[in-house]
Amino acid sequence: MERRDFLKISAAGGAAAALEGCGNPDHQLIRFIPEEDLLPGIAAWKPSICTQCPAGCGLLVRVMQGEAEVVRNGQLGIIKMGLAKKLEGNPNHPINQGRLCPRGQAGLQVTYHPDRVRTPLARTGPRGSGQFQEITWDDALKQLVSHLSALQASREEGRLAFLTTPLRGYRKSLVSGFAAAFKGAPPVEFAFFDDSVIRTANSSSFGHASPPTVDLGQSNYVISLGADFLGTWNSPVAQSIAYGMMRKGRPGQRGKFIQVEPRISQTGASADEWIPCKPGTEGVFALSLAHVILRDKLRPGSAAGASIEGWSQGLPDYAPEKVETQTGVPAATITRIAHEAAANAPAVALIGDGATAHTNGLFNALAVNALNALLGSVGKPGGISFTPAGASQTGKAASSDFGASVRALAEKVLSSPDAVKALLLYNANPVFATPPGWRVREALDKVPFIASFGSFVDETSALADLILPDHSPLESWLDDAPPSGSARTVASLAPPAMMPLHNTRAMPDVLLDVARQLGGDLAKALPWKTYDEALQAAFTTLYREQGNKAAKDADEFWSKAQEQGGWWSAEEKPAGVGAGKASGAPMRNTGPQFEGAAGEFPFHLLPFAAQMWYDGSLAHLPWMQEAPDPLSSVMWGSWVEINTQTAGERGIQQGDLVEVASQHGTLRAPAFVTPGIAPDVVAMPIGQGHANFTRYAKDRGANPILILAPMTIAETGSLAWSATRVKISRVGKGKMVLFGGSLTEAPPESRHR
Amino acid sequence: MFGRSFNLWLGIGIVACVTVLGWMLFKSSPRAEAQSGSPSPAPDSDVFTPAHRTVLQAVREYFGIRSTPVQPIAFTHKVHLANGLQCTDCHVGVDRGPDARIPSVNFCMTCHQVIATDKPEIKKLAAYRARGEDVPWQRVYGFEPSAHVKFNHAPHIRAGVDCKVCHGDMTTQTVAERKVDHTMGFCIGCHRQQNASVDCVTCHY
Amino acid sequence: MAHQWGMVIDLDRCTGCEACVVACHAENNISTVGEDQAARGRAKHWIRVERYYEGEFPDVKVKFMPVLCQQCDAAPCEPVCPTYATHHTAEGLNSQIYNRCIGTRYCANACPYNVRFFNFYNPVWDKPLHLQLNPDVSVRTVGVMEKCTFCVQRIKAGEIQAEAEKREVKDGEIQPACVQSCPTRAMVFGDLNDPQSEVSRMARSNRATKLLGELGTLPKVTYLQRDSWHVGEDARTD
Repeated sequence: MERRDFLKISAAGGAAAALEGCGNPDHQLIRFIPEEDLLPGIAAWKPSICTQCPAGCGLLVRVMQGEAEVVRNGQLGIIKMGLAKKLEGNPNHPINQGRLCPRGQAGLQVTYHPDRVRTPLARTGPRGSGQFQEITWDDALKQLVSHLSALQASREEGRLAFLTTPLRGYRKSLVSGFAAAFKGAPPVEFAFFDDSVIRTANSSSFGHASPPTVDLGQSNYVISLGADFLGTWNSPVAQSIAYGMMRKGRPGQRGKFIQVEPRISQTGASADEWIPCKPGTEGVFALSLAHVILRDKLRPGSAAGASIEGWSQGLPDYAPEKVETQTGVPAATITRIAHEAAANAPAVALIGDGATAHTNGLFNALAVNALNALLGSVGKPGGISFTPAGASQTGKAASSDFGASVRALAEKVLSSPDAVKALLLYNANPVFATPPGWRVREALDKVPFIASFGSFVDETSALADLILPDHSPLESWLDDAPPSGSARTVASLAPPAMMPLHNTRAMPDVLLDVARQLGGDLAKALPWKTYDEALQAAFTTLYREQGNKAAKDADEFWSKAQEQGGWWSAEEKPAGVGAGKASGAPMRNTGPQFEGAAGEFPFHLLPFAAQMWYDGSLAHLPWMQEAPDPLSSVMWGSWVEINTQTAGERGIQQGDLVEVASQHGTLRAPAFVTPGIAPDVVAMPIGQGHANFTRYAKDRGANPILILAPMTIAETGSLAWSATRVKISRVGKGKMVLFGGSLTEAPPESRHR
Repeated sequence: MFGRSFNLWLGIGIVACVTVLGWMLFKSSPRAEAQSGSPSPAPDSDVFTPAHRTVLQAVREYFGIRSTPVQPIAFTHKVHLANGLQCTDCHVGVDRGPDARIPSVNFCMTCHQVIATDKPEIKKLAAYRARGEDVPWQRVYGFEPSAHVKFNHAPHIRAGVDCKVCHGDMTTQTVAERKVDHTMGFCIGCHRQQNASVDCVTCHY
Repeated sequence: MAHQWGMVIDLDRCTGCEACVVACHAENNISTVGEDQAARGRAKHWIRVERYYEGEFPDVKVKFMPVLCQQCDAAPCEPVCPTYATHHTAEGLNSQIYNRCIGTRYCANACPYNVRFFNFYNPVWDKPLHLQLNPDVSVRTVGVMEKCTFCVQRIKAGEIQAEAEKREVKDGEIQPACVQSCPTRAMVFGDLNDPQSEVSRMARSNRATKLLGELGTLPKVTYLQRDSWHVGEDARTD
């Protein structure tokens, strides 16, 4: 055969082969026997608990049969199993009453994330290199137990530390119980959004160290000072339901709502009036309202504000005319609002987010508490109250010093060698979410052994030597004790909604296993084999404490709680409001203080919680990256909000790349030019700028926390994240992905019916 | 190349291609056919996509060419029905939801751990269970994924449509065969007769 | 009488939180397109929240408006489709029949609301994210248009269930994913042919408007304009 003929025939054959495609088309996975008895095509609804933010909403999970690739006995195959398909709010749950926010909806992607840690890992390369190898659970547990028993052998139990996300309920009891019985250090809890200022203020003013439950549904006048209560603050879904009722859920009534903040937040966008005030002056504003109310005798004088200096004299320093320049709010406006609030009872004031993250955050919060007391909204319908919760009834109550304790931990480790010899890490990411000035990364590098239970490799868990991956929330026994959002006591409970997809183990089960293996007091303190056993014991105690009203016996109580997603008290009865534990001299306003000389750093940098990424812990979810930011419509990136006029003066156009520099670092992000921010303020969402944390979040955008000044709030030790001053400069053209048209078009308001 | 024998070689090339193509189009494939409405997951890929894996698969689907399924065990409907079983004893849920489920090997073994245990096909069944494997039944009836058909058994059962109308008389079949061709015309014909909706969105959405 | 599905969105309640946007993605197998394709305008948000800024600092107002397929009774997208892939159903929905669609995109061109989205390439899910896909909803392929269907799969399921129980569909029983998730209860869905249904009652509000109604599309979504601070006569009891 001649060469050209060979080529012709080969070409014909080759084309046919290309049609079939390469690869191994007849490779077929074996099918494992299903472990559940499901009817295909028919959904089962199972209760669960949302863990995407601290609110603690109840879920109903739509579970349907599907086919998943799983590994059984080392072999890959396909199995028919119940798969969570959709999350809805649990209609019976007192916090969210069947509704759910976008973050809650995205919880599904945590379970099915392609970059979840699927099996235990042991570090192979240098710490932080991200090099791990897969090991068995037996090996992983052996390593963990050996490190802990070594501590016991050398009488160094106190050098075991836990670093976790803020925990509540029985999960917290378990972790604290483990730490205590082991004689290790009390667990350190960390979250960027630390409500220690609110808790301290409420403890001082009302005797409750917890965030408030706001009865917005009955309010007629709401003044929010910086609190993004419809987006990310406190219990957003509960507050949104109540907000809807406040506006259009009471025939004949519509509440008015004012938002006072330097940058219009997503919540501020729904306000009847947005009143920009200078950063840190929210407390002054609140006291100026109080001054007018006292001056014009719009309410009976009360001892409500005894914690504020000058209260009994009628707050002379806070007359509207005197604070006009300081706050940037015209005196006439302050006077008008005070009159409106007093005339439209119930009126309530809220404060949170950036306003309590100033160096004078506690003062601001106490000022708002005093205003509320003066308005008569404390413990009354339409005002603030507190969720009745008993620490013994629903597991341990949440802590309050998240930021302070991680900073203290870092300092301890840096100052004394071997202060911490073993660190157990659980879903806390301080390497991402603290300013480098706190030296958390440096401190962690000094800890000889770090084990992480998280499902993902993020900036902090990348430093682990051992990863023992937890189940995802939908695969876990969950319980919760939400601290706010309802006037009932709530003990949420949910069995797993689906079987585990990967070779993971529930973190509480691992701790119980370790306790059993270590024996002694630890095993005695935690005698259960699995977490659901512990939960059942806890719910039996809860049943007895409730006085046998809820079911005929403990077993029925336990079953009913599992079916409905928890137990909650039958009546709405907020906790009684006490007089508070105010101590020390009345507070005066000593702030806010900022770092960075105003001349060199002319702008206030105000980071804010992003609706989609919260504090950055949700940036790994593709739905959260692609959902447009409500105010800017930005997707898949960061942005810096700059006032229109300021931008114009600097030749900065929409989307231009700008550099933001503080005394501690610089970052670059595209500019979002908006009239909704004060001219001397720039704002950035928290959540992007991850160095790892899965393919969707890695190397995307910029993290404003990294350039924050490490200033603290004196009374609580938490980070004053509103206290940084910066300068900005245009770098050049940038890239910003928007899902929206022009932002200055008028909305269409055609009146065709 | 464009010599005298060009036409000859062109002709041979075309015949070769057509033969190979025809063979590939019509050959029986032991691979599981796609479930209606959901393309089969490719185990050797990191992504899921509704795209066809090869052009050939796309062409086969377009022409509605499906190979005759080869079942791993020679299940005989005739024998089971003759022994008094009803369709719904195994195909549970057909009156409650969209799918008529094929039970797992555990279900079969509830009877077959004692019944006909000496038969070779039952031994095969037991072997699957011993290995922890479910029987890889091959789909007989179903729609191409690109037809986007949302067939729901339950309303049809409730409307009194007998199983044999769409699936043929199973008392004469051993292994299930595609006795009835589920073309759109087949469905529409019955819908018209029964005054059920023929709006597109009744089945396609 | 046949149902006529319609929706009311109360802009006085809407806070722009976008729970509706993400709920829709989860329910309807909408793939994420990633940064590069999103930059090309190809993100497929069947429902989106539009934001409008009015005024200059410090007198700024922001208004949110969720926009989704209006299921127009005189839909401009229906007559332009060469293959009849989109038509008006007996229950008032603007259908999208994926297997008829040949991807001319003329319908998207004609739609004044920009609520139609084209699959420029075959969607891809990084495994095992695909396990979340809703079996009641088609997975669309390249070359096919898609848009909000008022969660037709839920409408069908509700109607089939009601028929099985030999009763009528109750008002509020069928809720598209967006309506179900909305925390402020701003969205209401139901039968416009039932004058007592909540959606009918709310559509009679004196704040009722239609988006681009002057174009004559006869949209089935009624927007209740954001109110100002006065006593609202049309509030419903929550």
